[in-house]
Amino acid sequence: MDRVTHAMPPSLRLLASVAKPAAGFGALLLLWQWGAPVAGIPRYVLPLPTAIAGRFAETFGVQLAGLAATGFTTIVGLALALVLGVLMALSVIYVPMLRALIMPLLAAFNSIPKIAVAPLFVIWFGLGVESKVLLAFLLALFPVFVNALTGLGEIEPDLLDLSILAGGTPWRVFLKVRLMNAVPYITDALKVAFPLALVGSIVGEFIGGNEGIGHLILLGQFDLDTPLVFAALASITAFTTLGIAAIALFERAVLKWRPSQRRR
Amino acid sequence: MAPFFPLAPAGRGRGPPRSGGRVRGEAQVAEARAEGETEARSPSSSAVALAGVSKSFGATLAVEDVSFDVSDGSFVSIVGPSGCGKSTLLRMTAGLTAPSRGAIALRGEPVTGPIRGVGMVFQSPALLPWRSTLGNILFVAEMGGLRPGRHRRRAEELMALAGLVGFEKSYPHELSGGMQQRASICRAMLLKPRLILMDEPFGALDVITRERMGFALQTLWSESRSTVLFVTHSISEAVLLSDVVIVMTPRPGRIRDVVPIDLPRPRESAILRDPRFIDLSARVREGIEAPWTE
Repeated sequence: MDRVTHAMPPSLRLLASVAKPAAGFGALLLLWQWGAPVAGIPRYVLPLPTAIAGRFAETFGVQLAGLAATGFTTIVGLALALVLGVLMALSVIYVPMLRALIMPLLAAFNSIPKIAVAPLFVIWFGLGVESKVLLAFLLALFPVFVNALTGLGEIEPDLLDLSILAGGTPWRVFLKVRLMNAVPYITDALKVAFPLALVGSIVGEFIGGNEGIGHLILLGQFDLDTPLVFAALASITAFTTLGIAAIALFERAVLKWRPSQRRR
Repeated sequence: MAPFFPLAPAGRGRGPPRSGGRVRGEAQVAEARAEGETEARSPSSSAVALAGVSKSFGATLAVEDVSFDVSDGSFVSIVGPSGCGKSTLLRMTAGLTAPSRGAIALRGEPVTGPIRGVGMVFQSPALLPWRSTLGNILFVAEMGGLRPGRHRRRAEELMALAGLVGFEKSYPHELSGGMQQRASICRAMLLKPRLILMDEPFGALDVITRERMGFALQTLWSESRSTVLFVTHSISEAVLLSDVVIVMTPRPGRIRDVVPIDLPRPRESAILRDPRFIDLSARVREGIEAPWTE
């Protein structure tokens, strides 16, 4: 497959890279549309793609409002996780004493399923955005912290020696060596942490409140409005895809030097 | 400028040995270097002085009672089997590790911590993967708080000497191992340091590249006038490049022999077949191969 795409001119190659997955997706939808009735699956269990599309169009305004609410708590939670995860990694790297203190605590903390604690957050912080942001933040924190720790901390010792002999101050070494080294690790972490933060937001919405895609899914469930549930899932999938694409675009712009980025 | 890779045609090796007179006809820097014995070149100042230096890691004695002087502007190699504390000696000279006993001084100044401005080349190129070749060479200027733009010309001159023209904007992963290491040597030489420490810089390269790198280094060094302390386990590399070769014993590292190399410079590939070169190499090899007693 690769050999074929490499022989094509770039514009065709781009078209091919979009067309192939689109064709696969289209085939799946067709199979669903024609196959589900043949297999005798009831509509309320698996609604037809056309019904989902119709419901999506009808509820478009509600979907957008839901996405705005869910997107807000997800992005705020993710941003907090990014800032705090990097700061925590830095403190562990620059104050080695803290490592022995923080690492076992964090490991223990990470072994708690955060979603199980969600009802507690509702008790503490109420049904507003706070509990959802907190859940999104907690789920996103760990991957950011772990990757930041590797990216900021694991620098070739020779490079650090060289920087010191060249007169590098701790600030310069941080800015020009550690931070630059950490960028690919952190963008990788964001790709994992973003869907996790979304899980946090939606679970928060399941547990309480009257906003967001999670709330919309619950409404659909109560009324046995399966097409609405699927339409809400489609919205959230589109949101995730856009978010990951944004991270990938950022990566491509910033990490031009990476061999894997250049080959594309 | 001296050409890069001054490899002589193959036939030249069988010709008469190069006379001192012919060397004097070369560039002035080379003439000054080839003038005579190392000791005679600059007797007043010693760039590096080690006195009774020992280093132990826990119960292991890595280096024992090493003393030597390196005169200013000379190229001194430390040769020995692996595990003889060569790298430790370099790290101690740079002030990155403290000796357990003894003292080290650079131009009379005792070494108590990392010495700012010492050039360093490691076995790994230690280049920043996100920087271009030029950006990597200018890295030491930026780390020292200097304006990199002011050193750009010097960087480009060094790159020309090292055969890196046209690769200014290439990233390290786009360079061969030999080119990466040449970039790393250029980086060490950018700010014209008085002392450059090289820790088996060609250790990871194949034999053919390695030999060419030796000549490339000679070109770069003859332009720089820096004092070089060069750690290697290649005898021919040490003899080819050095004014003095220090031979060390394995664990604990002690000085076995100090061999002055009075071959004329610049040294071209024909010198590898010169009887004097062969004699000197044999003497170094003797030092390495002699059985050691504890």
